[in-house]
Amino acid sequence: MNEFEAVVNVKLKDTIKDIKAQTLEQAVHNLISVKNLKCRVGSRYSIKFEAKDKKEAEHIIKTIADEILSNSVIEEYEILW
Amino acid sequence: MVKAGIITFLGTNCERDTKQALDFLGWNTEFIWQNDKIEKHYDVIFLPGGFSFGDHISSGRIAKLTPAVKSLPVGKTLIVGICNGFQILTEAGLLSGALTYNENLHFISKVTDLVFQNRIIRLPIAHHQGNYTGKNGEDVIMRYKINVNGSDDNIAGIYDRKNKIIGMMPHPERAVFKELGLTDGRKVFEFIKNEI
Repeated sequence: MNEFEAVVNVKLKDTIKDIKAQTLEQAVHNLISVKNLKCRVGSRYSIKFEAKDKKEAEHIIKTIADEILSNSVIEEYEILW
Repeated sequence: MVKAGIITFLGTNCERDTKQALDFLGWNTEFIWQNDKIEKHYDVIFLPGGFSFGDHISSGRIAKLTPAVKSLPVGKTLIVGICNGFQILTEAGLLSGALTYNENLHFISKVTDLVFQNRIIRLPIAHHQGNYTGKNGEDVIMRYKINVNGSDDNIAGIYDRKNKIIGMMPHPERAVFKELGLTDGRKVFEFIKNEI
């Protein structure tokens, strides 16, 4: 077995209103003068596990991301190894 | 007598309210634990409100993986999700769309006017993620008179008639006893009873 570590970044799709990001933008404008500010808010998950090979590891992390870490109706994710 | 099952998850907190309301209405109720497969027959199964698994990751996300939810008799028995139960049903893909954070990011807890069966009823709402989007095919059975949370088309409740699945954010179980000041929840349970 080999050890793998993946980072999964989840964020709302661009078509979904990101209310937390809007709140963040408002706070930034209250903090400092910034032009053309654009924020997106998401979650970062770091996951370590063991698998037979990279193919199995990819299958495991994709299953976790699809079923637990994200909701495909409103969110999208990227996997970084 | 209507036989109702009420699924209880870690973090559920409306199961007793639901049971007391249904018992008062003369229904035969019992709890179903999240880790038990549903093998008995019920006329209707409720997924009650609360904070299943502490709302971790997202509301309803973890509960959808429990044996009770995975063994729901979809298409055979009427299934009703109230508040967190509605969130669980959308996360499980049993109802379309998703419930995201309220537009003002507040946890909203108040009595709200709703349009239900062409009349106005008053029910409590209490949620943080009740902003519904992405309906695909279900009938709308309940709308907020004033859009309190940013939901598409003021949607508060939907019904997949083909698969017999209802989801709603308001709490009818908190509006059954006249001592609590509201009784319009009885109209909702009457509707549910007629759909069995």
